[in-house]
Amino acid sequence: MQVHIRIRRFNPETDNKPRWGEYTVNDVNPTDSVLDVLHRVKWEQDGTLTLRRSCAHGVCGSDAMRINGANMLACKTLVSRIAKPGSDQAKIQVEPILGLRVIKDLVVDMDPFFDHYRSVLPYFVNDNVPADGREFRQSPEDRARFDDTTKCILCAACTTSCPSFWANEKYVGPAAIVQAHRFIFDSRDQAAEERLKVVGDSFGVWRCRTNFNCTNACPREIEVTKAIAEVKGVLARGKI
Amino acid sequence: MTTPTGITYRKVAVPSNLERRAFLFMRLSGAALLLLAVGHMMIQHVLNSSQNLTLQFVAQQWSSWGWRVYDMLLLFFAITHGFNGLRNVLEDYVHNRNAVKWINRFLFVFAILTIIWAGIAIATF
Repeated sequence: MQVHIRIRRFNPETDNKPRWGEYTVNDVNPTDSVLDVLHRVKWEQDGTLTLRRSCAHGVCGSDAMRINGANMLACKTLVSRIAKPGSDQAKIQVEPILGLRVIKDLVVDMDPFFDHYRSVLPYFVNDNVPADGREFRQSPEDRARFDDTTKCILCAACTTSCPSFWANEKYVGPAAIVQAHRFIFDSRDQAAEERLKVVGDSFGVWRCRTNFNCTNACPREIEVTKAIAEVKGVLARGKI
Repeated sequence: MTTPTGITYRKVAVPSNLERRAFLFMRLSGAALLLLAVGHMMIQHVLNSSQNLTLQFVAQQWSSWGWRVYDMLLLFFAITHGFNGLRNVLEDYVHNRNAVKWINRFLFVFAILTIIWAGIAIATF
């Protein structure tokens, strides 16, 4: 099939403002991903096109982009999902994720995102020695409480689809709250109170307006808005 | 504490700041408004015909302190809930901390004056 792809381009060395680049790619399989199409543009038409990708299989989370107006991973989004059923043509529009400074083309500055991520202490904290000297035991029910939020791959699709983050980049954002949730609800962890200070701040969970963009954007299908609501519940009740 | 369901619940100290109190108040006032505002609509517009909503009807209703207290509660929760929502929206878009402080003060004073002004109208009707 034939794909017409519009790509938001920006080269800080030559452009004053972003512009649209338009390309036509032929002989695309419907089972090709948007990343495959971007590769074809870069390798066959314009080698200056700049984008991030690594594993290309939806695991590393480096190719989150705004595809036809919604945040997705380019490697997990098939052309057949975008093309009209039965059509041998597809129109695709690709932009960098919003709310972060564009460095070049589809590459954004992820530092503010990872600063928020680091602020919630996204690691296991427990300085005690396990009773059996080997491991901290946990019931399957306790493990299930944070199972959903262990799936995050830090692609930033949720945070950069959030209007509250677009409005104010000081907002810690859905991804950092998901990471906080993963450890706050872990019965073996001992730093919940420190994390709650960060996410309970005026730029923490209270900025969430529950519009579910984050849940819709998550390529791992994490119920992000629900996780944020559960952290709000802990802050409201003082009980995990 | 591990419950029979296998889930361990823990108590934790949480920061009690303005935003947390505002969140709890929005839940409380939202629940109160659901009862008061829906009740108001049912009584005034469903059980009574809108055509009967005259000055005399209001005067007769407010001759009872029960109705006055009901409407004052509705007034209090509607104004405070609405102004706090407005504060949240403005804080999303106004980034200057000094400007936010002054907007919050203005909204607080304006909400209090509105409640006093309308409260006097209800109490002295």
